[in-house]
Amino acid sequence: MSDTWASRATFLLIAAMTLTLVACSQFEPRDKRFYYRALWNFSLREDLAELDSEFNGVDFGHSNLYENLLLTGGTDIPAIEDRARKETLAFIATRPRINPNEEAIAPTYMKLAWRAQNTFDEAHALHRATYDIVVSDELDKDRAIRNVLAYYQESAYAITAKRLDHHRLDQFPYSKTFRTRFPLFNATIWSYHYLQVAVYDPLQAAPDLAAKTRAVRPILTTYRGYLAQPPVAWTFMPLTAELSPAFAARYPEIANIFDNLHMLHDNISDILASEQLPTWDAKRTEIYRVLNAYYLASADATNPMIVKDQEHHH
Amino acid sequence: MNQPILRLVLRFVVLMLGLWPLPGFALDHDNLDPNRPIGMEDAYAIPKGEIGMEGGVRFNDRREGRTRVTFQPQIIYGAFDNAQIEIQGDLMTEPNTLVGATKSGDLHLGLLYNFNTETLQLPAFAIRVETDLSTGVNSKGVDTQMTGILTRSFGRLRAHLNAGYTILGSPQGQERPGAYRAVAAVSYPLGYPDSFRDTLIASVYTRQSDQRGQRNNTGCEIGLRHQLTSRVVLDAGLGTEFYGPTDRAALLGTVGVSVGF
Repeated sequence: MSDTWASRATFLLIAAMTLTLVACSQFEPRDKRFYYRALWNFSLREDLAELDSEFNGVDFGHSNLYENLLLTGGTDIPAIEDRARKETLAFIATRPRINPNEEAIAPTYMKLAWRAQNTFDEAHALHRATYDIVVSDELDKDRAIRNVLAYYQESAYAITAKRLDHHRLDQFPYSKTFRTRFPLFNATIWSYHYLQVAVYDPLQAAPDLAAKTRAVRPILTTYRGYLAQPPVAWTFMPLTAELSPAFAARYPEIANIFDNLHMLHDNISDILASEQLPTWDAKRTEIYRVLNAYYLASADATNPMIVKDQEHHH
Repeated sequence: MNQPILRLVLRFVVLMLGLWPLPGFALDHDNLDPNRPIGMEDAYAIPKGEIGMEGGVRFNDRREGRTRVTFQPQIIYGAFDNAQIEIQGDLMTEPNTLVGATKSGDLHLGLLYNFNTETLQLPAFAIRVETDLSTGVNSKGVDTQMTGILTRSFGRLRAHLNAGYTILGSPQGQERPGAYRAVAAVSYPLGYPDSFRDTLIASVYTRQSDQRGQRNNTGCEIGLRHQLTSRVVLDAGLGTEFYGPTDRAALLGTVGVSVGF
């Protein structure tokens, strides 16, 4: 092969790649963003590993569910309630020291709805940052939490900090499909969300690390009980204001973001499980419609789901 | 490998061990960068805002000539959305005997730009532009390189294609003024669903020889990236060139570490 030929071939390849990208309707930027860098990064992992490992297990659970719903068409009850749920419980039981690679858990789902996944990733990073701050010896925790909130809200993938009408968001034609068909896994997901929001007030109230460790033990015991016997009697997801009222009162925007994040998880589970959206393309379109119109902060000016008054409706 | 070189390698490894920070989170073992540990990369940049320090030792036990050892310190920075910039300065033993674009002590600047993430229809694409400034031993002219990168997954298996072309600013003697390089590779996460710490990588490559009139260097490599902590990734790789000039590599080996913060 001559040098000239090789040079031309390389440039032609690059030009073809560029044209393909521009022409393709599924072109989607990756847009990964690093977490807010601070001295308190990973305080939870280093100082309260017992709780951190549970959150690592939660990361596995969401991705494993979505991948299995997608690949099984959302109708195979044993595949979800038995196999996928037990895989998740088995992973949680390993007490993972680092968070799992979610692209290895759900390679198909990530290709279907990366924009939604990136939205989850950034909100989960906000969750992690707030735990780290609360557990750390940072002197001005309030300022640190407001800084990470501001950093989060700079992102194009930030979920709205406004309170959304979750009951309206639970009344789409396909809503409740997942919890009706897969009550065990749905209750398992809600148990994750219980753990994620229930720890804030006890952690904030405890004066030192030893006290924080003691404070989360009962919550972990309750959570592990829920994993063993999922709370199928629950009719709606746990809310931050109900389980950590002091945290929600002090940081209402963050509480709203977390509740909205958890509602978005439920919406996507319903979309993936519903036969009313029979093709992967239809599911992707609906996930992006819901995400763009009702959840991203960039839609605040036109979002009809924003609650106008300050009353809680749950 | 002779004893002085072995001692040098061991000292470097011990130094890198001493630089490890406390556990945290960052450079992902699933995000593949060139030479960490083998000569291929995926189409993804590190997240915007992330800083990574990477380093490694690579030995090339040649079929003719002495074993060559390369130290590979590098800083990478997620400077913009979907883009990383890199600063590198390889240091090699026997610097006066080197031919080709890479000279010991050259300041290497690179930019990797990822156009898109992978979707159901589209692979991920990226482009890499690099330049080597002639700060090294016997180095003349500014060398430039452009590489197109494609990543496509099949389940958990990821396939990667790298195709690049290097133009030497001032070729000397029998050095080629330009050379192409092509790599086909796969990566696979080991341990699923119980563990997510290891990624196995394998590649085959061919590149035009450094000097005119010689056969392409063609070989294969295999490597492993291990997530030691959330901030630290260790890597190790082996390879061989089964076709090429008489001084082609009989055995290639790399050990390295990446730290993100």
